[in-house]
Amino acid sequence: MLKLENISRKFGDFALSGINLEVADGEYFVLLGRSGSGKTCLLELIAGLHIPDSGSVWIDRHDITHSRIQDRPVGLVFQDFAIFPNMTVSGNIGYPLRSRRRKKEEISATVDAIAAEMGISSILDRYPHNLSAGELQRVALARTLVLNPRLLLLDEPMSSVDASLKDDIKKVLRRLNRNGLSIIHVTHDYREAVSLAGRVGVIHAGRIVQEGTPGSVFSRPANRFVARYAGIKNFFKVRFLRENNMWKAIGEGNLTFSISGRETAGEGLIFVRSENIIVSASKPAPGTDNCFRGIVKEIFPSEYGIEITVDAGMLFVADISVADFGLLSIRESSEVWITFSAGAAVAIDGTDPDIQTRDRI
Amino acid sequence: MGISNSLPVKSSPFSWIMLILSSLVLLFIIAPLAGIFLNTNGSQLIETVNDREVRESIRLTLLVAFAATFLFAFAAIPLAWILARKDFPLKGVVQGIIDLPVVIPHTAAGIAILGFISRAGFLGGIAGSVGLSLINNPAGIALAMAFVSLPFLINSARDGFASVPVRLEKAALTLGASPSRVFFTISLPLAWRSVMTGFVMMFARGMSEFGAVVIVAYHPMIAPVMIYERFNNFGLDYARPVSVLFITVALAVFILLRLVSLKKKDSHNTADAET
Repeated sequence: MLKLENISRKFGDFALSGINLEVADGEYFVLLGRSGSGKTCLLELIAGLHIPDSGSVWIDRHDITHSRIQDRPVGLVFQDFAIFPNMTVSGNIGYPLRSRRRKKEEISATVDAIAAEMGISSILDRYPHNLSAGELQRVALARTLVLNPRLLLLDEPMSSVDASLKDDIKKVLRRLNRNGLSIIHVTHDYREAVSLAGRVGVIHAGRIVQEGTPGSVFSRPANRFVARYAGIKNFFKVRFLRENNMWKAIGEGNLTFSISGRETAGEGLIFVRSENIIVSASKPAPGTDNCFRGIVKEIFPSEYGIEITVDAGMLFVADISVADFGLLSIRESSEVWITFSAGAAVAIDGTDPDIQTRDRI
Repeated sequence: MGISNSLPVKSSPFSWIMLILSSLVLLFIIAPLAGIFLNTNGSQLIETVNDREVRESIRLTLLVAFAATFLFAFAAIPLAWILARKDFPLKGVVQGIIDLPVVIPHTAAGIAILGFISRAGFLGGIAGSVGLSLINNPAGIALAMAFVSLPFLINSARDGFASVPVRLEKAALTLGASPSRVFFTISLPLAWRSVMTGFVMMFARGMSEFGAVVIVAYHPMIAPVMIYERFNNFGLDYARPVSVLFITVALAVFILLRLVSLKKKDSHNTADAET
């Protein structure tokens, strides 16, 4: 439904360059990037606030590259929600309808209906300055949705709401998406991508560096940046099953992982943070969880200390402190054992859109 | 709100010196004004209030200053918006030109205006062709007042527009509003406080103008010119009651305008300040 073809646009000393992106009808696309990566600029460009220097923007096979902002079937929710402080909540929600010169009765009926849907009927007469972030966000969503956009653009929707409200917002967003609304959601937090996205794109320095399902992007990062970006270096595609009353995960090369907190069978992913992996030069005591023998492939300094890549049938990356590394006395192609606790192996479903991470990440 | 930005109070010699110096400045402003009120007795004042000439000149001053502010606002506010929102070549020069009336001597400004509105001048020529003389005419007075007081409105309104978050205007655009609708429903209401402050400042500056006005029009006589004329012809005792009356009326109007213009938008200006 949305197609960006080879978009380039300079903003002072920053530029979006060669952006190609396609979002299918009803898709939930999460664009991951750090602040300054160009993700907000890209959203504003789709909404028409910037015109690309070259390339084109298509929606439903119409070239809208040079269409007026008002004529684009696109809704944009800003990071800080941009609620108009000089209007009540209902004034805010009705604003787009008044811009379209709809009839008074029609406006109030539409506002009431969408407010009920968003659960904000009780605050319609209030001014925004003493509303909570969660309420403001619902107002912003309602205000954007009154015009029935074909595509919803969300700029960091989770960044200003309390942790306790994030699940509520996720539910709202999933519901909107299930009802057929295509969504592009921009964030710096890969956990949002994992729990919401049908597809993920990673943007860095104005370019989309990788794109695909969350599983594929996180398990096979196209480059070191994407991998680091996701904050995770160990991402394994597995099958969950029950064996001797214990839940296990079987990965490629029949590597068997002990896991905790997962009690359903099926396909999925596990990830292990590299700092949770322990490297030892001698064989650990029998009965230790997740103990694999491997060969050291790479050793180099990282922001945490020393990063060691071990090939144990699958590639594991461990981060250890400089002090621990000094005690180990290993080098490349040394034989080592790696271990991590069952609790450190975080299991998620790879396909279910309602997946939640089950453990600390 | 509620968080004090004052330093913890400590009675060091330093803070005493600061306090004394500040008090002196404050006293310097208050003392002459208090003096002029105290040195005017009631009977003189009543006599002045009953003086038709004085009443007429105060009425004229307020009216012309208000008209000048009101009419020029229609062009000054768009200019302020452009300065706040658009980038264009020589913007710094334009900004400098706007501040020019503040730095040049007002009598010199009066001479410049006079040249402009005399029959030989550009505007005077146009007015003359329809049989109107701008010299010694309220319209000429209004132009002189506007010339010296416009920077106050333009600069205050420009700051107001600049403080409106661009995101709100962007949001309005994405919600289907045309640029003019964005201006009238978002930018102007949110900059309203600064625009009105500028309006009041321009009005106050205009009505107190003497130098530029006296060159353009000795008659009809506005209050500052009349105070000068009474002082020149009759002395301090005759100039004083007119001054007191004008100060009182000007203060009353000033306070009234501020109350009216600022109270109306109180409902949202706390949020306005936060954004």
